[in-house]
Amino acid sequence: MGRSYIVEEAVEKYLCELQTPPGSCVTGLLVGQSSPQRDFVVLAVQTPHRESEGPAKASTRGSPLDDIDVEWVTEHARQVSRMLPGGLSILGLFLVTPPELSKDAQNTLKRLIFAVDKYITKGRLWELTEEDVTDRVTLHICSNTKKAVCRTFDVKDPKSSAKPADWKYQTSVLSSWPMLTCSVELDVHIPVTESASNSTEKCIQDGLRKWAKQIEAGHCLINGKRAFDDSEFISGQKKNPKITQRQTLPARILVSEEQPEVDERSSAQIQVCNVSARVQGVVHCRAYIHNNKPKARHAAQAIKRDIINTVSCRVEMFLEDLLISEGRQKGPCSGRQALPRRVFVPAPCSGLSLCDYMFPDESTGDVAERLKEMLDWDTPETDIDITLETNHLFCSEGIDSHGDSSKHFTSEVGTPKIQKAPQYYAGVAVAAAVALLATATSLLYFNE
Amino acid sequence: MVHSEDCSIIFRIKGILEFVCLLDDSNDAQCTISKTFQGLNSKVSSKNLVFTVSNSAVLIWPNNTFQSSMDSLTDTSTCGDILKYIEADNSESKKSSKKKDRKNSGPNVVNMKLLFEVTEPAGNGAPNLYTVIRQQHFVRMPLPMDCILSVTSNESLANACNVLVESLRKQLSDMEEVVIRCRKGSSLLVPQPFHFQLPEPTGLTTVIYPAGVPDSQLQGVREDLHKKFELPGDRPCLRRANAFRFPDEAYKDGYLRNPHVHLNPPNIDNAKLYLVQGVYSYHHYMQDRVNDDGWGCAYRSLQTIFSWFRQQGYAEMAVPTHTQIQQALVDVGDKEPNFFGSRQWIGSFEVQAVLNHLLGVTSKIMFVSHGSELASKGRELSNHFQTEGTPIMIGGGVLAHTILGVAWSEITGQIRFLILDPHYTGGEDLQIIIDKGWCGWKGPEFWDQNAYYNLCLPQRFKTI
Repeated sequence: MGRSYIVEEAVEKYLCELQTPPGSCVTGLLVGQSSPQRDFVVLAVQTPHRESEGPAKASTRGSPLDDIDVEWVTEHARQVSRMLPGGLSILGLFLVTPPELSKDAQNTLKRLIFAVDKYITKGRLWELTEEDVTDRVTLHICSNTKKAVCRTFDVKDPKSSAKPADWKYQTSVLSSWPMLTCSVELDVHIPVTESASNSTEKCIQDGLRKWAKQIEAGHCLINGKRAFDDSEFISGQKKNPKITQRQTLPARILVSEEQPEVDERSSAQIQVCNVSARVQGVVHCRAYIHNNKPKARHAAQAIKRDIINTVSCRVEMFLEDLLISEGRQKGPCSGRQALPRRVFVPAPCSGLSLCDYMFPDESTGDVAERLKEMLDWDTPETDIDITLETNHLFCSEGIDSHGDSSKHFTSEVGTPKIQKAPQYYAGVAVAAAVALLATATSLLYFNE
Repeated sequence: MVHSEDCSIIFRIKGILEFVCLLDDSNDAQCTISKTFQGLNSKVSSKNLVFTVSNSAVLIWPNNTFQSSMDSLTDTSTCGDILKYIEADNSESKKSSKKKDRKNSGPNVVNMKLLFEVTEPAGNGAPNLYTVIRQQHFVRMPLPMDCILSVTSNESLANACNVLVESLRKQLSDMEEVVIRCRKGSSLLVPQPFHFQLPEPTGLTTVIYPAGVPDSQLQGVREDLHKKFELPGDRPCLRRANAFRFPDEAYKDGYLRNPHVHLNPPNIDNAKLYLVQGVYSYHHYMQDRVNDDGWGCAYRSLQTIFSWFRQQGYAEMAVPTHTQIQQALVDVGDKEPNFFGSRQWIGSFEVQAVLNHLLGVTSKIMFVSHGSELASKGRELSNHFQTEGTPIMIGGGVLAHTILGVAWSEITGQIRFLILDPHYTGGEDLQIIIDKGWCGWKGPEFWDQNAYYNLCLPQRFKTI
């Protein structure tokens, strides 16, 4: 008995309208939600053309299947998966080939799906549970006949063979899915001791992992009730197809600071570190839950995973950006730096919202450009919602703090003011502010 | 077993507060520590504090004008109202047949845990990364918060929660004091709360002791507290072993405690009961995988007495095994080296010697030339239980037993002996032990009327 995929009609339209240059192949991602009984596909996104590739390269090599840039496909998958709110993930891939390549298509798809899954789960701070569905779907479409063949592979098992699966189109799959939202405050202290085996990134990841475990173990309240068991979490919702309004349900998360795996010590744990990092602020989180008798604890799991993902994601992006711009030698520099903030974007056709991360020096125009590149969406800049996480004052230039740094861990966060003037420092004690201001001004003129 | 008589509910809130700070040579450690505690104080005072009631679905936000997860629990509810939401935890059912005349076994304990809500934040500023580049000690310590409150069931629940929050704040302040006092450089000791049932009007009190520091090094702290609470200066009241035992806390070592409390007293006119004071463990044949059937009875009685001294706070040493007892006797020269590892019996004198060698405890020896004379020892025995209150080891004939008390009428001279029998070879089944009389009241005919007996009466020594 294979899996069955309920697919949004808009996806069918998208796949049919794909332009495939004759003789070549097109790859893309399938986005949706898995549940133990069935799976839902709500979005398809073609892998964008890589600009660096020259046009002449393709013809001299073997089959166009070999030309598929696996690295690029997986990188695109990773970028897109960062744009997905909770509950949604990359469920699989599609591949359009000319008829003569159809029989080799399965192998390619298998290779790709394993590579994609491996790449996008790197750096994930939560573990899959036994109930998580590890089947991923591969859809092969013949460019001539437009016939689609649907198979699944179990990415947990490298020797997995293709299993047949059902692929059915339906209207308005997503439109009545409830959406959980919450804003989560975090304040995580992380010691960083760089060594040969422990890079700064790894230390920060380990520190965040502890926090992620607390979130995973936390109580989740949806609509005031604890969501921890197999009960249906939306009681009283009628399955009326006429309901087009999406229910938005606030979620509340309660955590305990207990750490059961830590042995009881009689003294404090001391770690000598040369850098200490702290991630502090509020993240806005969302999760979509399918409406086919969803269980309360799966809903709780979806929103918790979104909380964890959005934090690890933006820290990852920040460190990657640092690596690119400043090179290996430099870690994060001293002081306060704004992490990229989350913005939300409505999908052109369905009622879905995806998200993106905006760096302090970016604008909605940059976001719109990225959406076009990654998802091939034309989004008016005004549709991009940047109000859910406010723009905090940032210092993107490196600012070394000399002198008295005991003020670094002041608990207040400055009042949000949407100003981009880099010289305005909110929330820093006056004495330190004067020193910082002087240092900052001088550094602005002397690039490190 | 001690418990509070007046109040019918004890609220107990436990949880971990993570203490995190950065210490280095340049900053003032005490100042940083204090600031960190201040931060924790704010956290506990914030509206994100949540109490969850164990074994129930009840959640309470005490600082958010008393919100609760149950519509029927509001700020006008009483403490008693909360009991009906709690599912009884039946994992340890206390099987006891002879409790008919006992009142309910003690106050209801409502266990709560500390949680913090991370949603509903005060602001919505997106996260920043704060980095400090300097060699520092990153210090992290989980603070084991544990506050208790005795209430009666008709008191206001909202008020009780406010008092609990206040107790948490005070506990943080007490912990801060202990952490700062015991600090050595960057090394901080975990402050641990202990609860003590002190005589009224003080009642249930919590003291913070630094982890890893043995009781022997905390003498000065205890002296001050004994003065403060007007406690007697000659017996331990505030050692860790004296900590209040909650009715729902099982002993992890598996030994039964005070099986005698489940007995009905004997029915003799004008008799008063003179019983052992405090807590002892029942040690008997075949325990600890030692097959001492037929020779170990006096050893077991000695173990019971040892356990008494340990649990009343007179000693931190573990209850000795048979071989450790034998080694002690060899060490003091009472026995030849070949005694070690043998199955030889011991008597009252050996018990006295071991108690003295290992614990510094002196004992009085009482001798009767005939078992029949024990019936006339009512006054001495009752005096012993009144002043010392320690279990008595009695050896004679070919048997050793432990006397836990007497029921004695000064007028008629009638006497019964409360006996704890070390010859029991079964498991820790209270029902059997009581029903079959392994712990029970015996008359004077219990003793071999013609044999002589020696009794070892251990004496308390002055300490706090």
